Amino acid sequence: MHELYFQKFNEKVRLTETEQERIKTYLTYKKLRRKQYLLQEGDVCKFIAFVEKGALRAYSVDDSSAEHIIQFGLEGWTISDLYSFLTGEPATYNIDALEDSELVLISKSAHEELLLTMPKYETFTRLNITGAYLAMQRRLTSIIGSSVEERYQDFIALYPHIAQRVPQHMIASYMGLTPETLSRIRKRISTNK
Amino acid sequence: MRTTQSIAIIGATGNMGSALSRSLAAGNYRLLLCTSNLDKATAMAEDIRKGNPAAMVEATDCTMEASWEADIIIVAVPYAAEKEVARRIREVANQKIVISIANPLNDTYDGLVTAPGTSAAEELQKLLPNSKVIKAFNTTFAADFATPLIDGRQVDAFIAGNDGEALQNVSELVSTVGFNPIVAGDLAASRTLEDMQLLLIRLNAKYDYNWRAGWKILHQ
Repeated sequence: MHELYFQKFNEKVRLTETEQERIKTYLTYKKLRRKQYLLQEGDVCKFIAFVEKGALRAYSVDDSSAEHIIQFGLEGWTISDLYSFLTGEPATYNIDALEDSELVLISKSAHEELLLTMPKYETFTRLNITGAYLAMQRRLTSIIGSSVEERYQDFIALYPHIAQRVPQHMIASYMGLTPETLSRIRKRISTNK
Repeated sequence: MRTTQSIAIIGATGNMGSALSRSLAAGNYRLLLCTSNLDKATAMAEDIRKGNPAAMVEATDCTMEASWEADIIIVAVPYAAEKEVARRIREVANQKIVISIANPLNDTYDGLVTAPGTSAAEELQKLLPNSKVIKAFNTTFAADFATPLIDGRQVDAFIAGNDGEALQNVSELVSTVGFNPIVAGDLAASRTLEDMQLLLIRLNAKYDYNWRAGWKILHQ
């Protein structure tokens, strides 16, 4: 229910038994079935979700109803519409489950109270946000400066688990490509091997 | 809210549980009907879907699993059974809205079994210290759910609780069912609300309202 959450927490910041028990009182445990929404665009995002088990995606939908995947969330990762969570503005992302999932949710009020009262939680949050910022910077650099072949190969090298669990058309959406283009790239890469 | 919320109704096939479930099925909610008698819950889910094919409703006999999936938990069991329910859901109900609908009536329906200075809702909060317990739906009879209008007027439904956001959320739920939500105060206001229903039950017996009675605050 919260084993992985505390494992990841302790890897970054070591907690005592008492501190762990205290954090537990703030957590919401939520099960989501495949295809169910955790968040729909237009609602305010009131939580950060940590994935204990399963897989989720965050995506936006454009005017022509095309989906653009912003982020995947696999075991041990967090997923949220951070802009909406931090500003209280309506979410621009949808988040749904790609597989049956088990989540640990941290609500806005729980998050704020823990930040104020528990320095270790603040450190854990800072490290998570820094990690997410670096990942986003890497993604941006790759979109601006790399060829699509390089981007796909980097993606596979960096996230081999996603490639195995997520359908190709979603990976194409994450990379900003059509499924046909991605398929051509994969073919090209395999013939060049 | 656009995101569908899941509601676990524990004791869904009881008198109040069943009335609540049938009304809530019309809203943007996914209902998990929990009861130990799975056949009965399955038949009820089918019956709800027959009347409303778009209803998102499922039957289950596992209270803990359903509460784990749920965003909101409604404890629709008699007061005496709440302790056992709380024991089962304690961990998965953490930080979630738990609605207490029970009135702690004695066997002869002429008094409450709770000690003065407390209420069924406050006792449930003690058993689930990390949940957001909200008192709601205790001042309405099950018969009121089918038609929340009595004598042409919309019945009021009182709500009590300590968490502002949870009160707002439950007010929306009460409106969906068709009652007029009125926030009465913090969770201690449940004492008055439970006493109010004791009075209504006694008046119902005395004047034979046939369970078609409710509260309405008249105001300017």
